[in-house]
Amino acid sequence: MSDWYSMNVVLIQTTLTTFLLALSIQVPLRFGVFSFAGVGAFGIGGYTGVIAMVHLEWTTWPSVALGTLLAGVVVFGLGLLVQRLNGLYMGMATIAFTLIISVVAVNGGDLTGGAGGLYGALGDIYTGHIVAIAAVVVAVAVWTEAKGMGRRIDTVRDDPELAGAIGIDVAKYRLASFAISGLIGGLAGAITTLLRSTITPAEVNFHLVIVALTAIVVGGARSWVGALIGAVVFVWLPTVISFVAEWEKVVYGLIVAVAAIYLPNGVLGVVKDVVHRVRTRDERARLAVLQEKG
Amino acid sequence: MVDTAVRRRTALLEVEDLAVHFGGVKAVDGITLQMRPGHIYGVLGPNGSGKSTLLGAVTRLTPLTRGRVLLEGQDYTRVPARKVHRMGIARTFQTVRLLDDRSVRDNILLGQDTLARRARRTTGARVDEVMERVGVREVAQLRPDELSYGMQRRVEFARAIIGSPRLLLLDEPTAGMNTAERAEIGTLMKQLRDEGVTQFIVEHDVQMMVDTCDHLFAMNVGRLIAQGEPLEVVRHPAVQEAYVGKGAARGA
Amino acid sequence: MQNLLNAATLGSIYLLFALGMALVWGTIGILNFAHGATFMFSAFVGHLVTRDTELPFVAVVLIAVLVGAAIAALIQLLAFRPILKRSKNQHAAEMRILIGGIGVAAIPLALAQHVTRSSPFGFRSSYDAEVIQFLGLRLTTTAAVVIVAGLAIGIGLTVWVRRSRQGLALRAIGVDAETAAGMGVNRTVLAFGTMATAGALAGLAGALLTFQLGAIAPETGDQLLIKAFAVIVLGGLGSMAGTVIGAYVLAGAETLVLHLNYGTWVDAVSFGLIFLILLARPQGLFGRKEVRRT
Repeated sequence: MSDWYSMNVVLIQTTLTTFLLALSIQVPLRFGVFSFAGVGAFGIGGYTGVIAMVHLEWTTWPSVALGTLLAGVVVFGLGLLVQRLNGLYMGMATIAFTLIISVVAVNGGDLTGGAGGLYGALGDIYTGHIVAIAAVVVAVAVWTEAKGMGRRIDTVRDDPELAGAIGIDVAKYRLASFAISGLIGGLAGAITTLLRSTITPAEVNFHLVIVALTAIVVGGARSWVGALIGAVVFVWLPTVISFVAEWEKVVYGLIVAVAAIYLPNGVLGVVKDVVHRVRTRDERARLAVLQEKG
Repeated sequence: MVDTAVRRRTALLEVEDLAVHFGGVKAVDGITLQMRPGHIYGVLGPNGSGKSTLLGAVTRLTPLTRGRVLLEGQDYTRVPARKVHRMGIARTFQTVRLLDDRSVRDNILLGQDTLARRARRTTGARVDEVMERVGVREVAQLRPDELSYGMQRRVEFARAIIGSPRLLLLDEPTAGMNTAERAEIGTLMKQLRDEGVTQFIVEHDVQMMVDTCDHLFAMNVGRLIAQGEPLEVVRHPAVQEAYVGKGAARGA
Repeated sequence: MQNLLNAATLGSIYLLFALGMALVWGTIGILNFAHGATFMFSAFVGHLVTRDTELPFVAVVLIAVLVGAAIAALIQLLAFRPILKRSKNQHAAEMRILIGGIGVAAIPLALAQHVTRSSPFGFRSSYDAEVIQFLGLRLTTTAAVVIVAGLAIGIGLTVWVRRSRQGLALRAIGVDAETAAGMGVNRTVLAFGTMATAGALAGLAGALLTFQLGAIAPETGDQLLIKAFAVIVLGGLGSMAGTVIGAYVLAGAETLVLHLNYGTWVDAVSFGLIFLILLARPQGLFGRKEVRRT
């Protein structure tokens, strides 16, 4: 067991950070907010963490905290700016924001290390730390999915006008989703970067959006469980099927496309549907009988 | 003329010179009316007469171009739409608006999710009671797309009443229901009225309105053309004229 | 000045690429993330064909145009149409089409990267660009073709959409798909036709840019995607004229930035434009569609 662990420790850690990255985009999506700013937050968190360690000579966890908070604040600010945009336009604006971060990083001179990036910020992070952090984030996610909060968020997403009519402050909820996505994305970025000890502008660009989307689309966009499933699939597929490693990108593209077309709620969605059908077998049978009589 | 203060004391909802203009269209063109608590009011009128717009204005979902709306004497013309629910005003919509991915039970619970803790009775018992009254207890775990249209409408109705609203606004609540269901809803509405829930209903089914409502308003092209006892309003010449060619006493 | 000519050439490429995207997005409401892949792969097929046989200019361009149209029609058939059929409404479909497009786009990209080992590829053609000198300015024949093609097709398409029956039908679908269908507009045929045309334009742009630069990289298509967004957002969705103007304005701005020696900020021009316009004047210069939430 511990042999397997030490052989795969990097993969396990990557799974967890990918999970957090995926969550940073999934959370706003669940609120009906088409925001890809979580990836930008990843970049901000990563760069801030490294800058704090290298330039300010801070230790690991304060650097991570700074990266997380700064990303949260910036993305919340972005949310204030773009909150009135609808669907695709908001998606575009947030993609533009994410890409601007990359350009700023390239032009940041000594602060950001320019195109070459920064290095030498090795964080004191163990898998246990990441698991604990992920558990806290999951707890927050669970809270947003449970009972009343879950219902209200679903309404904000599926029918914002109805949400208003039953007393939900839609704008407040949507802004909150920006803040949460910024914090989680920044956290993911800070941890990932300090694990690797380096960061370059090339690492924090659009391809991260694709990584996150793959995880969400495949696993399921409605729940953190889906994001976890997706992260596991994304990170472990190449090792399980070596053929995949060579044609990795084609397979991922195919999986994403197929999921988008045929599995709108991902793997988790399929499972939930099955569970629902089993649970409501009796009720549906009774309903059928009633409808035949009436 | 009734003294304003007296009127304020007895009215639950007041609408004063309400107008809603969309660009050049005057959907509602100056309407004044009052509703007293514990009655069922109905609004009659051909398509395009402004009935649903009136409903929208009362719930503040639609902005008012002119005029005021007051609940128990308090002017809420400027109150944002999302705060209206907490004031005790609930509504249903012309098209069924339920969450397709949630169970009937969850959909109904939404109706009281944002109300203050004190106002929410013990969740479980309350929602069961409401589901029982409306007749959807048997399908509590099913999802809207597994139900008939009539049942979906009943779920919406339940969502509207679970928060014990003071004023219940119903936009064509029985559209798509069969005769038996319609009768059930009518009975339920009267029971609610007797329990103190004031209701305001927009309906096409004239017979149902005559049977259920205590007081009818008739609208045409955004204006009030008659009001009073249901049978009198239905026979009113202006009302008959508004319906000419559309079948005046068209009912169930 | 020389810079103006460069900007005109660049702008024409942007225009040809963005026109396809704008056409599809503004009429049938599909934001096609695979447009860049179509652009690139059409040129790539031209590269494959000319590996063994040297071909004249027109032949290569024709191949690219046909391949582009075919790819786009295929994507519509296999991905977008199924998604639209399985979605409850336009809003739900948007996200899935977006993600589906991203997934599909990864496939041609990976294929091309695999074959070329991620290096740029060009054409072997009997055509050789000549340089025209006038008024102290240099203009290659390729650039001349590009500029003429850009302007001609850009203006031609604008006029066609405004004046012709099919153009009217397209605009009708863009305004209200249901009513348009009720009035006898065959949505399916028009949708395929529009996608195929967009693909053809992408192929044309791909071939021309490859001739212009000598070679393009597999990643070039995706890089152009964001520029196309900027063009369309600037010009305004739903307006062909806006796309024409937007393309040249963007090219002009980028050339200016380059001229002022801020080379590393060039990409920021498009990102920044998207951001600023969506915030300040979301409908762009001539746009007609509603961009803000009500």
